[in-house]
Amino acid sequence: MRFNLVLDVPDVPGQLLEVLEPMGRLGANIVAVIHQRDVKTERGTVPVQITIEGDKETLDKVMGALESKDIQILEVDGVLRKEQITTVLVGDIVEEDLQDTVSKLNQLKSVKVADLDLKMSDEPKNSATKMVIEADFGLRKEVLKNIKKLGAEKGFLVINEV
Amino acid sequence: MVNLMKIIILGFGAVGQGVARVISMKKDYLKNKYELNPQIVAVCDRSGAAICETGLDEELLIQTKNDTGKVALYPDYGHPDIDSLQVLDEVEYDCLVEVTPTDIDDGEPARSHIMKSMEDGKDVVTSNKGPLALSFQDLADCARMNGVEFKFEASVGGAMPIINFAHETLAGCEIESIYGILNGTTNYILSRMANEGSSYEQTLKEAQEMGIAETNPYQDVEGIDAACKIVILANSVLNLPVTLKDVEVEGISKITSESIALAKKEGLLIKLIGEASPDALEVSPRLVRLGSPFAVEGTLNVATLKTDLADDVTVVGKGAGSVETASAILSDIVSIWKIRK
Repeated sequence: MRFNLVLDVPDVPGQLLEVLEPMGRLGANIVAVIHQRDVKTERGTVPVQITIEGDKETLDKVMGALESKDIQILEVDGVLRKEQITTVLVGDIVEEDLQDTVSKLNQLKSVKVADLDLKMSDEPKNSATKMVIEADFGLRKEVLKNIKKLGAEKGFLVINEV
Repeated sequence: MVNLMKIIILGFGAVGQGVARVISMKKDYLKNKYELNPQIVAVCDRSGAAICETGLDEELLIQTKNDTGKVALYPDYGHPDIDSLQVLDEVEYDCLVEVTPTDIDDGEPARSHIMKSMEDGKDVVTSNKGPLALSFQDLADCARMNGVEFKFEASVGGAMPIINFAHETLAGCEIESIYGILNGTTNYILSRMANEGSSYEQTLKEAQEMGIAETNPYQDVEGIDAACKIVILANSVLNLPVTLKDVEVEGISKITSESIALAKKEGLLIKLIGEASPDALEVSPRLVRLGSPFAVEGTLNVATLKTDLADDVTVVGKGAGSVETASAILSDIVSIWKIRK
């Protein structure tokens, strides 16, 4: 059987090899690799399309190995596995405990804060935080609702995607 | 045979004058294309009324208003001591154009004007958001019971076609939800903040100096104006019987230049977006992608209708302006005419 995968790979030297390594090691047959460094996601990572072939057991092992290496699997056979949700919070996030905010988000089911960017202001309450959150596909609405709730608790203005 | 349609205009501010102007501009066009001869038989403002059963002169109305501020001073036909309800009682007409200033507390006096007209069996066109946002269902029921036409295209998005567009052009499609930038003032402020990196306070002040924001900008910047429009769309397009108090509203006054800069870094813009769907009635600042249909600048309005057959359909247009808004009122007048003639 075959798997068509789309993996999310950081744009730094050696990453492609890192991704291919478990496939070779576990005996999956690599049918195709499409790696275009000039096509990037908003986060600057490179989506790499890989088609692998092998028996089910081998392919499952490969998927397990990729996951344990923390390699993001965006799509399997055209089905989205993860989606990214960007949100901006306005408010004094340092005072309201940044770590607590992130960990509360991470506690939500199949949600992970993947990127965080801060812009501090002279006026602390004007400070802004951008977060990129990765969630299992289909959870967008629920995640957005939870971010809003958390924002309301901590007195942040939450600016979600449309 | 060219047929008369006698019109009363209540309210003679920017929109009312725009209506007089487009009727004057389009006389020949309306006659040739639709065999319609619209005649303004009365105009009221705070000063009283100008009334002439054989038709007032549109240009003279505008000139009188501009020179004196009072339509009651219209030569020979001015009536300073008459109120609008009296005018509706005493003057013979076919269609009311209700364009008095919007009031979002009780929708008056527009609500009474519209109700009275409909109860008297007259068709009504309005741009007034107040009564629609507060008691849409009552007004729609009243129109139905009296067998009159009630149209309000100009109340949402000014010149941008949306209500009639949804009902007529997209007939056959089920409309699942509507997202839009429905307030030009806030879009102007947010666009300037994104382009200049300026603060909210500074940009609001600049917008006020340019006449884009009002001296009291509360209804615009706190999202109330957009919320009224969301209520109108929810009722008229999505058939949801909701009112202003059902909308969750967050304005733009807490948006900082820091948050805009962070969003921009990610290829995103912050816009005040209204959403009407069976799950959510909301006006709030949201992130939109640069290059998406929502990334419009200046005072433009935009709305995306999510439909079952046609997928997403997006319209863009000028959300304000005297003649622009009047164009939407004229289109309502013409569609009423097509039904009545």
